Amino acid sequence: MIVLDRASLRYGPILGLSPTTFELPDGGGITGLLGPNGAGKSSLLQLLSGLLPPSGGDVRVFGQAPFRNPAVLARLGLVPEGDRLPTGLRADRWLRMMGELSGLTGEALNAAVAKALETVGMADRAHLTFTRMSKGMRQRIRLAQALMHGPELLILDEPFNGLDPEARLTLMALLRDLAEKGTRILVSSHILGEIAQLTDRILLLFRGRLLAEGTVTEIRQLLDRHPVELRLTGEAQVLARWAVEQPELAAMRMEEDAVVISVRSPRDILPRLQKAAAEGGIPLRALDPLDLNLDAVFQYLTKDHA
Amino acid sequence: MPIYAPTLPPAPDLHLGQPPVLVLMRFDFTRLWRQKIGRFFGFAFLMLLLWKVARIYVDHLLHTNEAFKPMQDFAKTILTQGADFQADLLNPASYLLWFLVALVGGGLVARDTLYRVRPLMYAHPVAPKDYLLAKLGFASLLPFTILLPFAILPWLMSLLLAGFHGPVWATAPLRLLPAMAIASALMGSLAVGASSMAATPRAGIGWVLGLVLGASTLASMIHGLTGIAAVDALNPIMLAEAWPQLFVGVERPMVAWLPAFLGTALHIALWTFVAAKRTRPSEAVI
Repeated sequence: MIVLDRASLRYGPILGLSPTTFELPDGGGITGLLGPNGAGKSSLLQLLSGLLPPSGGDVRVFGQAPFRNPAVLARLGLVPEGDRLPTGLRADRWLRMMGELSGLTGEALNAAVAKALETVGMADRAHLTFTRMSKGMRQRIRLAQALMHGPELLILDEPFNGLDPEARLTLMALLRDLAEKGTRILVSSHILGEIAQLTDRILLLFRGRLLAEGTVTEIRQLLDRHPVELRLTGEAQVLARWAVEQPELAAMRMEEDAVVISVRSPRDILPRLQKAAAEGGIPLRALDPLDLNLDAVFQYLTKDHA
Repeated sequence: MPIYAPTLPPAPDLHLGQPPVLVLMRFDFTRLWRQKIGRFFGFAFLMLLLWKVARIYVDHLLHTNEAFKPMQDFAKTILTQGADFQADLLNPASYLLWFLVALVGGGLVARDTLYRVRPLMYAHPVAPKDYLLAKLGFASLLPFTILLPFAILPWLMSLLLAGFHGPVWATAPLRLLPAMAIASALMGSLAVGASSMAATPRAGIGWVLGLVLGASTLASMIHGLTGIAAVDALNPIMLAEAWPQLFVGVERPMVAWLPAFLGTALHIALWTFVAAKRTRPSEAVI
């Protein structure tokens, strides 16, 4: 569905996105575009949504270059960052205009507006002006305008910014539902927790470079330089004695009721740990991987490339 | 074969529906119509129009009614006659029209900049040239639409009252319509260019008024200092008033043909260029 081949983007002398190569397959699913502010997320989204041509390399969406290409634009939906919409306008009227811009007319337009409003849960409040809407409501209207023409690819730039927890969860559920129904969703954020809640598959950008692509587990396994930290809760001294005998051990520290070990190859040590615990050789009450999550992966990758 | 989400409608056929230029223009017109500002100016222009039509009737009475014979000479001294009268059909509305164009046109592009609407539009099958043409079209059609009854209704009234010998020439619309089109294009391009430089609708209004009044002041100063009358062609207010005069052939138009042509071409080209630059996709960062 999306193919980038050494695609880069320059804003005059500033490099917004270094030559980047990756592919996203056809079909539904959510991919998180992760990176701190200024990482190049919006630049990448601008390339994909056809707002700008690449300064170098090649960008293909649905097999074609998206820049000023109506054939591609008709098949994708974009929800840019921000929640501002022209004050004083009624949401349904604005949606109709956006639908018409996508080539919808007559009954098809009415049906598309009604369907999109129903999908985002705004069918009964679409007659309100944007001034009278909350941030969450406006964000849902922005999503509705991107859904009206039935896009196969949905691109969202920081969609959770400024939303309260309830609105955030509602939007996440909505995105998951759309993905299940066959829409490919690319969602950018600089908040790790949001992406972690939404999807396991990420593209990680940092300072205009694509650092990693894949699931969190896949990426974590590639980070050989950073041993995996495991917290073993139980009788700390006995657990520590067992741990120092393991060849994979890289470091260890004691806590009040636990021992935290750093191991280079968790795949090798975990079966042994499991076996020892099952046979009663070690008094293990709990096992917590500390850095197999998105936060840790993000920290390691950005530190390594800083 | 593309895969569509099963519960969403299929992607629309791009060959159906109206062109984006028309969709955007229609949206701006309906938006203006629903606003109080549209109703206010609608009322103001209606009053002016009634005054114009009434004047035709008064003129008719002066010529046909014996009771008004003694007043004919006096009326000739205070009311414009001949070619000046034809050109004057459009002029009283011009300052009010500039004000309307500033108020409405100033926010046309600036509002989309403030609310970051352009990235949304450009992510639909809307090319930057569609957007620009829509804004230019709306900003130019607005004054043209308002001026249209000023050119047509007095002419009709004159035809009905006095046939081809009425105060309004039978050929007046043929002369006034092209003049209106040029003046409207001038107003529209200036408004859109100014609006594209602003970050908020209010700033857009300021830009339009600033450019119109600034250019007028500059032209007057240079004219005063150098004595070169052609410099008045930099003054957009004067240009808009000069075109009807040129087309109906008044004896002493505000600006001569060549300076008027060059001045108008300069304004339209410059402000269209500015608007095109400022509404490029690269300016519509997301």
